[in-house]
Amino acid sequence: MTETFGGLTQEVVSGIALGCIYALIALGFTLIYKATEVVNFAQGELMMVGAYVNFFFVSALLEVPLLNGVWAFIIALVGAVAFAVLFGAFLDLIINRPLKDEPVFSVIMATISLAIILRAVMAVIAGPMTRIPPSPFGSSVITFGGVAISTLDMFIILSAVVLVMVFYFFFNRTKWGIAMKATSEDPMAAHLVGIPVKKVYRNVWIFSMVVATIGGVLLAPRTLLDTHMGFLGLKAFPAAVLGGFGSIPGAIVGGVIMGVIETVSMGTLSFHFPWVKEINDIIVWIVLIAVLMIRPAGILGHEEVDRV
Amino acid sequence: MLKLIGVEAFYGKIKALHGVSLEVPHGKLVCILGANGAGKTTILKTVSGILEPETGTIHFDQQRIDGMDPEDIVGLGVGHVPENRHIFPELTVYENLIMGGFLINDKAILEERLESAYHRFPVLQDRSRQLAGTLSGGEQQMLAISRALMLQPKLLLLDEPSLGLSPLLVQEIFDTIEELHRSGVTILLVEQNINQALRIADYGYVLTSGKIFLSGTYEELRREEKVREMYLGEGKYVRRARLWGM
Repeated sequence: MTETFGGLTQEVVSGIALGCIYALIALGFTLIYKATEVVNFAQGELMMVGAYVNFFFVSALLEVPLLNGVWAFIIALVGAVAFAVLFGAFLDLIINRPLKDEPVFSVIMATISLAIILRAVMAVIAGPMTRIPPSPFGSSVITFGGVAISTLDMFIILSAVVLVMVFYFFFNRTKWGIAMKATSEDPMAAHLVGIPVKKVYRNVWIFSMVVATIGGVLLAPRTLLDTHMGFLGLKAFPAAVLGGFGSIPGAIVGGVIMGVIETVSMGTLSFHFPWVKEINDIIVWIVLIAVLMIRPAGILGHEEVDRV
Repeated sequence: MLKLIGVEAFYGKIKALHGVSLEVPHGKLVCILGANGAGKTTILKTVSGILEPETGTIHFDQQRIDGMDPEDIVGLGVGHVPENRHIFPELTVYENLIMGGFLINDKAILEERLESAYHRFPVLQDRSRQLAGTLSGGEQQMLAISRALMLQPKLLLLDEPSLGLSPLLVQEIFDTIEELHRSGVTILLVEQNINQALRIADYGYVLTSGKIFLSGTYEELRREEKVREMYLGEGKYVRRARLWGM
């Protein structure tokens, strides 16, 4: 009995960790959608690019003889975030600006194309091999009263919590954060009060790319690093819908719920149906449909009311 | 202070302004009258840079501003209270005002402007932590005006500030406008409430189908039969004789 309980607890914690990563991707996605009304289907690929860039940095830095492991990881993360800032600004320039106020289909096609291009370009750069990214924690575990939890999962959860707190502070306490919210609510009014709307849009893309990169860096040691890991970003989409599309707290709640359901159902169902590869996804999608039947706007979303 | 010469503007392919020229002298309150769809709001939008004029020039304080980004025009001292208020409904009243002062970098000045906004409309202070979307129409209008005043604009563009308000609130809003005018703010006002507007305005322009049709002081415009018929509700709309073909 206690063994089952221990197993379940482990799965739930592992699920929360996975869910935190979904939440980060869904957050980046929601930010862009809210501010610029672009549904960015390349969000998963942005995460993949961030994870690879970090991996390249780590591999290069671990070769440097004087650097010990931990510093290599920290410097690599700083490098990857710096890259994310530049890349986010670049995406704003090539995707967001030219397509602002264009038909929604053009924008969607542009982001889908971007996803395919990023996957192909990264495959060219990184080669055909699936990489095993080194983790600063190795495979160490922390044991709490008989329940073993991987250090990496603990770190993922902790980083996600810190990040969400930073975002909360940014969006509610800083001038630029409030300006981002204001712009997403009413771009014309934002123009009229003197908010530099173009800069806000650029910052949103940078923000989103940075969040995706951190998500990718955290995820890579859990899974393996290959150019198809961006498909996982497709799960951030239902996570965002589950929580309430366009709601920032909703993205986080939806992401965590998805992660927990997925991991727990994988632990139980795959034991009974080992030949069904997608078994862990079934419950996730059933829950999504069930929630949307009861609350079409998602758990924390509220229905759009057109103001006259 | 503000001078438009031959301004033409389009919404997509539809021409909304057919060569509008008008002037707002320093310290004056100028009013634009006209029916719905005449292009009044469009004029204000071209001034604040939301809409770029196709041809024609706009000068503000001897500086050409057509084609500039809206945030730069705001920075020069043009405040715009848009039609339907356009407050940020999901932000608090306080955050709305802070956004009005986005371009102010000095914290002390920001605090001072916030104080004077609360002093002008004490109800905003009472509701400062409330989401702006929960305010009544009149309170939202006070917020929209206060938000535009955070930067202490030299020229204030007001688009139908009395729209949808009760007579008592209309009076309060107009009192505020008059007070601002007396304190030296130059105002360009678009208003449906023509009697009220012309009473406080120094000068008026009448706009029909994107063209200036008439202009003059309140007394001059009052004398125009067409203005009385169309806007002041005094004349007969249809002469009965004409109905009988006489």
